[in-house]
Amino acid sequence: MNIHTYEKVWLAASMVLIVGFIATITYGAVGPGVSMISDDGGSIDPSEINDDERFEETGVTHVGGNEYEVAVLAQAWSYSPDEIEVPAGSEVTFYVTSPDVTHSFSVVGTNVNTMVVPGQVSEMTVEFDEPGEYGILCNEYCGEYHHTMEGTLSVVPEDEFDLTELSVEAPGEVESGNETTINATVSDGMQTDLETTATLEIGGEQYDEDVTIDGAGSESVEFAVDADQLGEGDHDWTVTVDGEEESGTLSVVDGANDDSGDSDGGDDDA
Amino acid sequence: MRNAYVDQFPAEARVVKSAFWSSFLALAIGGIFGLVQALHRTDVLRFIDSTDYYTVLTAHGVLLAITFTIFFLVGIFTWAVTTSLDRGVVDIRFTWSWYVMMVTGTVLVAVAIFSGFLEEPPSILGSELYADVLFTFYSPLQAHPIFYIGLVLFVVGTWLAGFDWFRTWWAWRDENADERIPLPTFMVLTTTLFWYICTLGVALSILAFLLPWSLGIVDSVNPLLTRTLFWYFGHAVVYFWLMPTYVMWYIMLPKLSGGKLFSDPLARVVFVLFLLLSTPLGIHHQYLDPGIAEGYKFIAMTNTMFLLLPSLLTAFTVVASMEHGARQRGGEGYLGWLTALPWRDPVFTGMALAGLMFAAAGFSGMINAGMNINYLVHNTWWVVGHFHLTVGTAVALTFMAAAYWFIPQVTGKELWSRSVALGQVLLWFVGMTFMSNAMHRSGLFGMPRRTAEPQYQNFDFEPAVGTVAEMDAQVALGAVLLVVSLVLFLLNMVLTSFNGTSDSIPDNTYAGTLSGPEDAPEILDNLKLWTAIAVVLVIFAYTLPLASIVESGGLFGPGIDGRQLSLGADLEPALETLREVVA
Repeated sequence: MNIHTYEKVWLAASMVLIVGFIATITYGAVGPGVSMISDDGGSIDPSEINDDERFEETGVTHVGGNEYEVAVLAQAWSYSPDEIEVPAGSEVTFYVTSPDVTHSFSVVGTNVNTMVVPGQVSEMTVEFDEPGEYGILCNEYCGEYHHTMEGTLSVVPEDEFDLTELSVEAPGEVESGNETTINATVSDGMQTDLETTATLEIGGEQYDEDVTIDGAGSESVEFAVDADQLGEGDHDWTVTVDGEEESGTLSVVDGANDDSGDSDGGDDDA
Repeated sequence: MRNAYVDQFPAEARVVKSAFWSSFLALAIGGIFGLVQALHRTDVLRFIDSTDYYTVLTAHGVLLAITFTIFFLVGIFTWAVTTSLDRGVVDIRFTWSWYVMMVTGTVLVAVAIFSGFLEEPPSILGSELYADVLFTFYSPLQAHPIFYIGLVLFVVGTWLAGFDWFRTWWAWRDENADERIPLPTFMVLTTTLFWYICTLGVALSILAFLLPWSLGIVDSVNPLLTRTLFWYFGHAVVYFWLMPTYVMWYIMLPKLSGGKLFSDPLARVVFVLFLLLSTPLGIHHQYLDPGIAEGYKFIAMTNTMFLLLPSLLTAFTVVASMEHGARQRGGEGYLGWLTALPWRDPVFTGMALAGLMFAAAGFSGMINAGMNINYLVHNTWWVVGHFHLTVGTAVALTFMAAAYWFIPQVTGKELWSRSVALGQVLLWFVGMTFMSNAMHRSGLFGMPRRTAEPQYQNFDFEPAVGTVAEMDAQVALGAVLLVVSLVLFLLNMVLTSFNGTSDSIPDNTYAGTLSGPEDAPEILDNLKLWTAIAVVLVIFAYTLPLASIVESGGLFGPGIDGRQLSLGADLEPALETLREVVA
């Protein structure tokens, strides 16, 4: 076969280029450790996603140390959850799946980007070094309102991050002359112990209770409330802990008139 | 004595002309839809509902990527085979039959897609017409059965066309037992062979899974399986529509430059490499897919990189041939010869500019192929910028330039205006420079593709350089220039067909070679051998991934219903219901 000298040189240079490309990509995988979406997430029945322990509840969970997991459901045309918050300096594993059609889960301007195919779980681990705000969008056509499918990802400074949850039980009314309690249940989603302060504001007064919660545990905090001190009438209250807040109204009614019926009620849903 | 193609092969010329006009019609509709999309996305002008955007997008993709390209291809390939073998097809009725089959398929597909514009699409075969599934028709999005039936008819039409070319070659071989396969025919046959290999994937996907599912015969599919079968075909198809472009660059461009093809043997090597490597790399479109192990993606990546080789060789041969031509025309110096090229010839200039754009496309393609950097650009506008350089310029501009030569050849009529033609190809180049460059840049900060309103409520895009508004303006401007260029092209074609026949049509010839087939080892013409190796490579690349997809997700998936995610006119209540279900 007759190959011109220039052709030979060009052919050799081309092969060097190609092998060079493959080498740099291989280096990217084994050196800095850029890994690909793989089959690690396994398959899933799209009609029974909740049966998979990873998707019993969507959102962020703490695994331990700086490791977190985030379960996300991508569906026409939203993400659940659509606001994700993780701490800086964390290593976060996302599990994403779809109950309907193919979507993507793409953190805008980053290489956190995966297809979400029904029947499969996309698993990817990402290191978030710095605080920042990112958009999340679906970049695979998923029906008429595909363009409305979006979310946000906040990477917050480590000391501002918690997984504290609060739920409050409070009576709707109390008779004057009596005492009652407002019960706050504070749970810690982190695997580490939490020392914090729960605060009740009512009747212009503020009551603080320090509380220590075991990792992945929860504690009850009781705030005693004296009806006489508040006086008759409606009193708004607010319980806060680690930025979580719940509020309601407590009515103090005349003790002699105890058939007063419905109260304004405390708003005690979580 | 005039000796144009229409004089040599009048019957074949009619088929080729019909194929070209089918191609132009698809180009006209698809191109105008492209402008509608560009103006809508960038929010320059929105006169359709965003929900209809996806109907427009489906039509744009199918009409341009499939109909426009492949109708032009069958025209060029029929010309290439008959011209280079110097004999007509075996049976012109057979030739018409595959053309009619392709047209029928296209009409069915178009009916299904265009019904997306109707408030209440008619019901056929027990379900409403619907095909807002885009060019890739990923399940569980489900189109109406006639969409899939139309695609099958179209593809079977191309199979028969391929058989027609082979049959013509067999007839020639019986009379010319000891001769080498003429280069243009060799190119057609190798391309046809990998087309057979790759379309098996999409045929299997449609016939075994999607069509029975859309007809309600089976009630579930495995989305990852049909998706993988699509991409088994989906990358090779880009080489399918690129190959007639390569044919033009190899056998027309050197002649237009005033010289000869630098090397026949290397041209054969290049087409053999495409036969071998076009298919076993489709998984590079699935770098981000779950359910496919990293190792298979790595194999697809290396195959993709090696497929750079034939394109790099082509770059060398084409430029060397052009330089040879320029020097025959008196060109001198290291780069001075460039000025000796026939830049006033729209056929030459269109093809040369297309080749230049393809070089740029090669670079963005290398980024796409790099599997870890691909995560940054996958499904962003970058990718759209990339394939508007490849299919949208390398292919489309070469085809339009070629049409300025071919239409006189197949009609015997002189081109209406060569200067309008020259302006047209230049305008395409300029328009695409604006549009594609801005699309590439937008992809780098995550601007998604395939999205009617890429303006989000809760975040803004943050370009490192420039602004979103500036890039949107460039895309809109580019799209307008492209459509002006397209209108000039169509005008030239239509007015040419109103011309009377002319005696001054050039002879139907193609480029000779400096280094001819006698320098190419005989083994290069052993199509059976190369096909066998190509099949083995496909088996290596695909057996294990497909087996693992079927093993984990089942052949028909875990009860996955078809989805036609449209809410119709009364949006809010439906959205409300949906939110409740989700909550």
